[in-house]
Amino acid sequence: MPSAETTFLEAIRQALQRLLRERSDVVMFGQDIGAFGGAFKVTAGLQKEFGADRVFDTPISESAILGAALGMATMGLRPVVEMQFSDFAMTAVHQLLNNAGTLHYRTGVAAPLVVRAPCGGGFAGGPFHSEELEAFFCHMPGLKVVYPAFPADARALLLAATLDPNPVVFLENKYLYRHVKEWLPAEWGPTTLGTARVCRPGSDAVVLTYGAMVHEALRAAELVHAEDGGEVMVLDLRSLKPLDTDSILAAVAATNRVLIVHEGWHTGGFGAEIAALVAERAFHLLDAPIWRLTAPDCPVPFAQELEKAYRPNAAKIRDALLELLEH
Amino acid sequence: MYSVGCFPLVNRGLPRGGALAYSPRDGMNPQTDITKDAALALLRVMLLARRIEERLIRLYHQGRIFGGVYCGFGQEAIGTATTAVASADDLFAPCIRDMTVHLGRGTPPRDIFRQFLGRANGPTRGRDGNIHYGELHRGVFAFISHLGAMLPVVTGGVMARRRLGRPAVGFAYIGDGGTSTGDFHEAVNFAAVFEVPVIFVVENNQFAYSTPNAHQFRCKDLVDRAVGYGIQGVKADGNDVLELRATVAALVEEIREKPRAVLLVCETMRMRGHGEHDDASYVPRELLAAWEQRCPIRVLREKLVAATLASEAELDALDTAVQAEINEAFQQALGDPAPSPSTLMEGVYAVG
Ligand SMILES: Cc1ncc(C[n+]2csc(CCOP(=O)(O)OP(=O)(O)O)c2C)c(N)n1
Repeated sequence: MPSAETTFLEAIRQALQRLLRERSDVVMFGQDIGAFGGAFKVTAGLQKEFGADRVFDTPISESAILGAALGMATMGLRPVVEMQFSDFAMTAVHQLLNNAGTLHYRTGVAAPLVVRAPCGGGFAGGPFHSEELEAFFCHMPGLKVVYPAFPADARALLLAATLDPNPVVFLENKYLYRHVKEWLPAEWGPTTLGTARVCRPGSDAVVLTYGAMVHEALRAAELVHAEDGGEVMVLDLRSLKPLDTDSILAAVAATNRVLIVHEGWHTGGFGAEIAALVAERAFHLLDAPIWRLTAPDCPVPFAQELEKAYRPNAAKIRDALLELLEH
Repeated sequence: MYSVGCFPLVNRGLPRGGALAYSPRDGMNPQTDITKDAALALLRVMLLARRIEERLIRLYHQGRIFGGVYCGFGQEAIGTATTAVASADDLFAPCIRDMTVHLGRGTPPRDIFRQFLGRANGPTRGRDGNIHYGELHRGVFAFISHLGAMLPVVTGGVMARRRLGRPAVGFAYIGDGGTSTGDFHEAVNFAAVFEVPVIFVVENNQFAYSTPNAHQFRCKDLVDRAVGYGIQGVKADGNDVLELRATVAALVEEIREKPRAVLLVCETMRMRGHGEHDDASYVPRELLAAWEQRCPIRVLREKLVAATLASEAELDALDTAVQAEINEAFQQALGDPAPSPSTLMEGVYAVG
C-alpha cells in the first residue's frame, strides 16, 4: 500500500528502522523501548528485528542514559536514546549542558548522539508529562535542537540528526504522534538541519511557529481567511538550533506583520529569541509590533478547563491574528 | 518469559540472622499482637483504597477521567502498615501506588475523587492530577512524577522538624525501578551520613512499567544495597499487613529514639498494568495468579478469621459499608465544581 498515509509516530519508527538497517553504528536505548516498544510504541518491533544488542531497555537512570550515550558517541557509535518523557531529561541536564554540549569545544572530540524526547501537552498529562522545554535545550551551547511538525519532516530530520556529528535533541510532540498523518514521498528530505518551510503562503501576516502549534496555526489561518479574507503565511521552523534566519526574515519582508506562537512558557521562551531576531534584523519591515502567543508562566495544569486556558490553540491564534491584522 | 529474580510466592517470613536481617517479631501471633479494632482499622484502609481504585478504573474506561489512572492493587498493605504505626509529627513521601498512605493519614475519599476528577476543591485544586497529591497538614508531601525526587525532600523535612524539637520519623516510598535513579542514591546516602530517621520503603512489585527486576538491578536483593550505604537493611513481606506493621513498629520505635536511616524492602506485586492504559501483557499470567493468592486484603481476612478475631460475615459487612461510603464520596465529588479558567494564574507565587 504505497499510497497510504503515515502517522507522525510511524514516520519516526521508519526512520529508526532505516537507521538500524543501514548503519551498524546506530544503537538505541531507553526505558521500556525494547520488547515493549516504548511508552508510546515508537520503537515497536525494533528490538525483535535488530536484537537486544542494538535496541535495549535501561534502568530508570536518565543521567546514565545520557552519559553513556556520550561515551558511546566518542567511541564511534551513534546512540539514539529515548527519554520516556522530555520532562525527565531535566533530571540529567548536566549531562547535556556540561558534558555533551561542551565536549567538542573543549577537546575537539565529536559526540554524534540523538536524544529523542516526547514533549508537549493537551491531553491532561499534568505538570510533569506535558512540559515544553525547547528553550532550555536551545540555551545550551553545543547542542542542536530539532522540532518537526509533519511526518515526512520527522522521518527525514531524524535521519539527518543521527548523521550529524553533534548532540541533537529531537523533540517529538506527543499530540502529533497519532493526530497527524500524511503521504510520505519516496525521497527523504530535508537532508540537513536548519531549514524552515512555508507550509501556507500569505502576504498579510506570518505565524512563526513549530511543533503542534503549526497545525493550530494552519487552522487559524483558514479561519481568518474565511472570516475576513486575510492571507496568513505559516512558517514551520522545523529546527530551532540551527535556526533558519533567512527564511524568517524573508517571511517578515513578505508580510510585515509577525505572530510568534509556541506551547512553551512565555518568559525566556524560544519566542523571545525569534522576536529579538526580528527586531534586530527586520525592524524596518514591521507594520505592527511583534506579537507572541505562548503558554503563560505557570506550571502545566491538569484539569481540562485549566489546560484549555493554558495552551494556545487555533481559536486563540485566530483572535490574535485578527487583532494583528487590524493594527 | 522473564526471569524476575527473587521473590516469594508464599510468605517465607522475615529472613533470619546475618548482618542485614532484622526480625523482632518472627512468629508473631496476631491474636496477641493486635486488638480487634486495630486490625479492622487496617482492613478498612485497604478496602477503602481497593474500592476507590475500582471506581477510578471504571471511570477511566468510561472516559470520565482524563490523563491516567495508576493503581496500587496488591500493594495496599504497605502504606497501611506504615501509617498505622506512625505518629502525628511524622512525614511521608508516597509514590505511585500509595493511596493507602493518603488514607492512612486521613485524607477523605471524597478528596481523592476530587483529585482524580480535577475538581477546584480537591487537594491540588485541579492543578495536578491523579497520584500527584499530598497534604502537608497531614504530613504528606505531594508526589512529583520524577522518580526519586521526593526522597531528599522528606529527608530534609525530617531534619527540619527535629531541629524544631519534634521527634519526626520519615517514610519515603519508592518502586524497584525508582531505585535506579540518581536521586535515590543521593537521598539514601545523605540520610545515612546525617543519621536522619527516614525509612526508605522500597516497594519491589517486580516490574517497573514493562521492565522486570532482572533488567533493573544486579544485586541479588535490593536490601543488599543497605550495606553500601552503611545503614540497616530490612526485608519484609509487603503483602502481610500484620507482620509488616509489627516490623515497622519496632523499627520506628528504635529510630525515633536513636535516629538513623533504614532501608526497608517490601516484596510485593503490581497486580494491574502500569496504568489503566496498559494491559500488562508482558507479565506472565501465572505469576499474577500466584500473587492473587497473596492479595493483602485476602491475607488479612484469612488471618483474622483464623485467629477468631472476626467472622467472615463481619468482614463482609465492613466491606459493604466501605463500598457505600465510597459510592457516596464519589457522588459528592462528581457534584463538586471544576476550576474556573480565570483562576489559571492563581497560586504560581506565594503572597506575603
Ligand atoms: C526520573 C523518571 N524517569 C522516568 C519516569 C517514567 N516512569 C514513570 S513510572 C515508571 C516505572 C516505575 O517503576 P517503579 O519505580 O518500579 O514503580 P512501580 O510503577 O512499579 O510502582 C517510569 C519509567 C519517571 N516517572 N521518572
